[in-house]
Amino acid sequence: MNAVTPSAPIDIAGLSLGFDGKPVLQGLDWRVAPGQVVGLLGRNGAGKTTLLETALGLREADAGQARLFGCPAVALDDAARARVGYVPQQSNLFEWMTPEQLLRYFRAFYPRWNEAKVEGLLSRWDIDRRQAIAKLSAGQQQRLSIIRALAHEPELLLLDEPVASLDPAGRRDFLQELVEQVSNLGTTIVFSTHILSDLERVAVDVALLEGGRLALQAPLGDLLDDARRLRGPSSTLQAWLQATGLAVLATRPLEGGRLQVVARVPEGAALPAGLESEALSLEDLFLAVTAA
Amino acid sequence: MTELAALFSIAAGSPEPIFRQIMGQVMRRVASGQWPPGTEMPSVRELAVALTLNPMTVSKAFSQLEAEGVLVRRRGLTMVVADTAVERGATPDAAALLRPSLARVVAEARQLGLTQTQTLALFKEAWQAPANPDDRS
Repeated sequence: MNAVTPSAPIDIAGLSLGFDGKPVLQGLDWRVAPGQVVGLLGRNGAGKTTLLETALGLREADAGQARLFGCPAVALDDAARARVGYVPQQSNLFEWMTPEQLLRYFRAFYPRWNEAKVEGLLSRWDIDRRQAIAKLSAGQQQRLSIIRALAHEPELLLLDEPVASLDPAGRRDFLQELVEQVSNLGTTIVFSTHILSDLERVAVDVALLEGGRLALQAPLGDLLDDARRLRGPSSTLQAWLQATGLAVLATRPLEGGRLQVVARVPEGAALPAGLESEALSLEDLFLAVTAA
Repeated sequence: MTELAALFSIAAGSPEPIFRQIMGQVMRRVASGQWPPGTEMPSVRELAVALTLNPMTVSKAFSQLEAEGVLVRRRGLTMVVADTAVERGATPDAAALLRPSLARVVAEARQLGLTQTQTLALFKEAWQAPANPDDRS
């Protein structure tokens, strides 16, 4: 694993936050190393947006701390701010401005600004530079928000449901752009999405938010390689899991004294007789782990 | 894009991780002799862009193929099919490579309550279909 350094793009320790007495994040720990591309998963209402906003210092935590590049997120200095790009779920653009005016305005805040990239993306993504933003479609507003976040070539990019308003072609364009970012600049990326096929293409690691914590963090390839759905007599299955000490991700009792378990089973592990084993897709895994 | 990059196809949403899909496709082409020793692979970057994949995923597939003796790194950059890829038994025979996919088809056919005869008829039909077999999305 990567050595933990104080300048990790994201370093979160013991983060807790609730709304109206209802806990959302509960002592959450999370480190994202330079160059990692992490897909953030969780059911609706699991707190993904809250987590991203708190990581960025847009919300103050009840307990714990979030640091970006070693700098407390709630007191981010200009140098650290310039290294971060964010695409919020709700487009927060100034709707009375035109894209041209908006980008000129933001340009003033950053020491670096890739004008060629901005122009290229505006043309490729067919955004009218002189139309009021309010009159752009939801998809175009989302694209503009992405361009704004990429323009200053951030080292860390946080994207909250960045493709929710995009059609399949728009999503593919956007994924292409992310692949370019990663190939050319080694950008660290965290993005939340419900579109698991997109996540599989672009993310190398997944983090699953459940019950106010990251219930699962793993390289996606390893996870699909060894996650198995096991079914069998409860006693046999439990005895075997206890003996092997395998990581169990989800447990569900079945009828007739049988049990279903999702666990990480290394290649070549010998299964006792009477147990069925089945590989899982990311969607199967997500559903199994987040089932209430 | 090289012609080879266009020959890969990726099915997101499968229980098989994407790096293993790439590995399997290379191994099948090598085992069948379609890609003889010396065949040059696309670069990691080229394949990542062509397939819209994280370059680290492509790189992982290539590294494992190198470790298994299927590919060798030439001039530090491009990978080529190893001279010894087939003789060293680095690539299992074609039947062994197809068996996991067939096992999945059998399992799904059973879940659907299809008989062996019905399934074989469907297999025959699929085999004869003229569509591009690589075109899965």
